Amino acid sequence: MRIPKFEYFRPSSIEEGCSLLYKHKPEAKILAGGTDLFVKMKKKEVFPKVIISLKGIQKLDRIEWDDRGGLKIGPLVTHEALVSHPIVKGKFDFLSEACLKIGTRQVRNMGTLVGNLCNASPSSDASAPLLVLETKLKLVDLYGERVVPLEDFFVGPFQTVLDSQEIVAEVQIPNPPRFSAGSYEYIHKASSVGESLVGVAVFLRMDPKDATCREARIGLSSVAPTPIRAKAAERVLKEKKLGEKIIREAAEVASDEIQPRSRPWYRREMTKVLVERAILRAMEKIR
Amino acid sequence: MKKQLIMLRVNGESCELAVEPQRTLLEALREDLGLTGAKEACGTGECGACTVLIDGKPILSCLTLAIEAQGKEITTIEGLAQGSELHPLQKAFIQHGAIQCGYCASGMILNAKSILDETLKPTRDEILKGLEGNLCRCTGYNKILEAIMAASMGKD
Repeated sequence: MRIPKFEYFRPSSIEEGCSLLYKHKPEAKILAGGTDLFVKMKKKEVFPKVIISLKGIQKLDRIEWDDRGGLKIGPLVTHEALVSHPIVKGKFDFLSEACLKIGTRQVRNMGTLVGNLCNASPSSDASAPLLVLETKLKLVDLYGERVVPLEDFFVGPFQTVLDSQEIVAEVQIPNPPRFSAGSYEYIHKASSVGESLVGVAVFLRMDPKDATCREARIGLSSVAPTPIRAKAAERVLKEKKLGEKIIREAAEVASDEIQPRSRPWYRREMTKVLVERAILRAMEKIR
Repeated sequence: MKKQLIMLRVNGESCELAVEPQRTLLEALREDLGLTGAKEACGTGECGACTVLIDGKPILSCLTLAIEAQGKEITTIEGLAQGSELHPLQKAFIQHGAIQCGYCASGMILNAKSILDETLKPTRDEILKGLEGNLCRCTGYNKILEAIMAASMGKD
């Protein structure tokens, strides 16, 4: 299988990349890892005449972290880099776990987190943890930049708000507050690349004095046209002491918030199971 | 589209070649450099037959542009043996009958090499997780696993 012909550009700065994109849109595509783009080109699903590679731009493969700003992930950071990065593994452990679930060892060495988000697959594994971490994306174009919450970034299956002249320049994740923890649970299809059938991320912040849940966020992937937050289920947990009954109820409510396109009964049942499991795991981590 | 002159470092040697931008690393290795150990099977990154190492890490050469592999150390199966002395993994694959049709073998061995380079004595599960991206159509997984376990025991 051959990749169809294209014209190749390798800008040395984001600004240069933006101006190339502006000049060649809508026939241009940005290249990061290539694990989605080249497959789509080989299958003749997309036909970009121009490819603008980010590989010539320095520092885009950086992961930066500090106490105030939180985690910043560049557009060339691979899944593997997030799996093995000590701070991501430590403070954002469930994001790291989700990245280990993506693709295969080879795909994780090539594919980037930003590329995965731009591909906007409803089953994107990293999306559920990123949603509950209240992730934002910095989008830049020739005229400036805007910061978009990940929740507003996805608009449909394989569709985002990214304009044809914009580049995702950074993923921004705030530091989780004290007495909080997150977890990621999934089941996947029996296929070579193990695409998720249901993915559930839960983030909880508990009151250290009386173990009341002060904040609850639930992110779901593979069960709706885009990765989503299960906000009604979150409200069930908030300001409650988390016992069996409340957790069951939240899982039940979450399973009503999904809109699966296929295998709806099974996905609903598994959503219940995984939401419950993810809540319990997050609680265990806070203790 | 005009061809571009590029320089690739393959198995420790520098090779100059002229490629169009859409040429994959796999095509360049097989068709321009005559290194036919890496194979094309699915062509879409699911099977791992095209696996080569770039700076020691396994990647899919069928989804990598040759022009983007410049300035990196590329290792193919042809680069593993030292002269006529086979790499311990190659020997183990032969000893354990881990090769049937051989189509997956170069990718399996290179990926296994990177797993053993990263982890001194990987567990069975670590090896299996590492090999999730390499498919064997002859269903020889058990023998492949045995061969890799044996090679990992043999090294100090």
